[in-house]
Amino acid sequence: MNQQGRKWARTVARTLAPEEYVRFQELKINDLGFGYDPFGLEIESAVAALSVAKQIYKYWFRVESHGVENVPLEGAVMITPNHSGALPLDAVMVGVDLAVKMKKPRIMRAVVDNFAGFLPFVNTLFYRCGQIIGARRNFEELLKWGEMVGVFPEGDKGTGKPFKDRYKMIPFNVGFMELSLLYRAPIVPTAVIGAEEQYPYMFNVKPLANLFNLPYFPLTPLTLLLGPLGVLPLPTRYSIYYGEALHLYREYPPETVKDPETIRKLVGLVQDRVQSLIDEGLRRRRGKVFGFSLKDLLPGKTEPKIPAAPSKQIMERIGS
Amino acid sequence: MKKKKRPSPPKKTGGPTTVQRSGNPAKKTGRAATGKRSGIRKKNVLITGVTGTIGSRLAEALYYDKNVGIIIGAARGAKPYYFNQFDTKRFIYKDMNILKSRGLTNLFLTTDFKEADINTVVHLAFFNRVSRSKQKESFHRLNVEGTNNLLDKCIESGSVSKFIFKSSDVVYKIRPHNPVYLDENADLNFDTDVDQWVKDRVDADMICQSKMDSKGINIVILRFSNIIGRMGSGQLNAYFDSPLVFRAMGFNPLINLIHMEDVVFAIQSAIHKNVKGIFNIAGADTAPISTFSEINRSRMYSLPEPLLGPVNTVMRKLGMTRYYYSVDADRLKYSVLLDTRKVTKMLDFKPRSRKYSVQRPGPGR
Repeated sequence: MNQQGRKWARTVARTLAPEEYVRFQELKINDLGFGYDPFGLEIESAVAALSVAKQIYKYWFRVESHGVENVPLEGAVMITPNHSGALPLDAVMVGVDLAVKMKKPRIMRAVVDNFAGFLPFVNTLFYRCGQIIGARRNFEELLKWGEMVGVFPEGDKGTGKPFKDRYKMIPFNVGFMELSLLYRAPIVPTAVIGAEEQYPYMFNVKPLANLFNLPYFPLTPLTLLLGPLGVLPLPTRYSIYYGEALHLYREYPPETVKDPETIRKLVGLVQDRVQSLIDEGLRRRRGKVFGFSLKDLLPGKTEPKIPAAPSKQIMERIGS
Repeated sequence: MKKKKRPSPPKKTGGPTTVQRSGNPAKKTGRAATGKRSGIRKKNVLITGVTGTIGSRLAEALYYDKNVGIIIGAARGAKPYYFNQFDTKRFIYKDMNILKSRGLTNLFLTTDFKEADINTVVHLAFFNRVSRSKQKESFHRLNVEGTNNLLDKCIESGSVSKFIFKSSDVVYKIRPHNPVYLDENADLNFDTDVDQWVKDRVDADMICQSKMDSKGINIVILRFSNIIGRMGSGQLNAYFDSPLVFRAMGFNPLINLIHMEDVVFAIQSAIHKNVKGIFNIAGADTAPISTFSEINRSRMYSLPEPLLGPVNTVMRKLGMTRYYYSVDADRLKYSVLLDTRKVTKMLDFKPRSRKYSVQRPGPGR
């Protein structure tokens, strides 16, 4: 982005999210000298994107979150949520939530599937906002720099789950656990409630997926009924639960990576914790199916009430 | 035709200062003339492609290097005037074609070569991208077979203990899901549909790699990022020289630029250090391609990717650019940054030039 572009980006951020704009001034990047880090992250682009996403966060998905204090304020850390919803909006909402709610704002560097790198505009947008393409080496670099990395261990298969399989996680990939032990990065199990219903995905239109070089092209009832408007996700209410950080590297030395059985068990432990958070979140959710009621859509009712008690109860349950 | 920047002449009063301080070996006879001194063995260097931009700068740098004895510069054609300033006992120019095995054998058998006791060969002779198909064949032969012939002769000679080959980061396979920093073991580009020039680069690089374990010789492959500098012949040099530059719509990859001075410095380090193997070498400046274009005050436009090739062809036909899009089609979309940890550690190389950051845009970071 040139100087003029940066000026515009700052204006957009200041206008849309004035409070956050001030907080975001604290964000630091590994600047190579021109305002970009080696992955292409540019602070102005990231802040402008966060400010725009904040509006979606606040008014469309009306996100509420619990347990953000469990996320370390500095050092390498992995956020490992469930993944769903055809488009990776759950990752965006978790990223915004952390940037907005943490005492000291941090940019979540989400690990994105390879296909995103081939897509024009998407490729550049992701890089400028701090997202990285999922090569293991890239993941390692971020942990070495002490960054907060968002990993979705279900991979793109998670976002392609059909509606009937919502909130049923598919087995986690194991790579993140190996890196957690090698680089002594705590893992924060995270549950995202609401994203699984935003696209009631019925069929994968494979020819279109191949045409656009995508892993899947979801067909929803809304795309059939509303045409292009059906691309918009349903305004489901999101609830995000951050579990207690798991410092497994304290008990398991880096050599554990040579023991696939133990690694698989540890990954199972993380998956169980995410599943427990999901179960608890679903139990507490106000709506029965889509997580929203008509009251939520009325003006003045958009600010979520964040109960203090549930998160503690959840933490106790998970801790035990 | 643009006039090349030539090395500045040495002081008339008895040659270069650095050489004077250590004693000009050319003014001595026998042992000193061959670059041998008690205790320290000077490097006597053969440079192929010495008339090129990097070659002539390297020759100049080595001429003033007190740890270098005799330099033989080889290239095709008559000796250029700008080498006349060098002492002929210290710098010897040879008109030769490394494609011709006989010529190469003769070079290694000449009195000059034997007396100079050449122990280091820097192979820079490599043709740039050409458009005419007839030339392509002969250039391919020079680029690939020439490298092979020269390396074989060096191994056979027994006296050459180091062979340095200047390669490039175009040998790497460029993909969006590459690691952010490509190390020396990253996948090479063996695609069949890439430009012939890239294939030549990969072939020549592979030839050097295949002979890496030859006894008695240290083979060093230096893979540079995009070389930029006055009169440089690199691809991105030509790209930014164009009055109009185009990039793929929706992409704005990070690129790294290395200045010619750093290239010469890196080759010099490789000559002096006792190393072998492959080294990635990058410059100090990394930014999106649009940022460099802005600094360079080029007019940059985004075009849909399928149009870039035809537009480039038209621009070349009109003489508006020397840039070949087909060489860099993926480079205009995906970032390529080199992992330079190995070269920093083993060659103690750190880029010195920071030509572009002087005009750094953006608010005070």
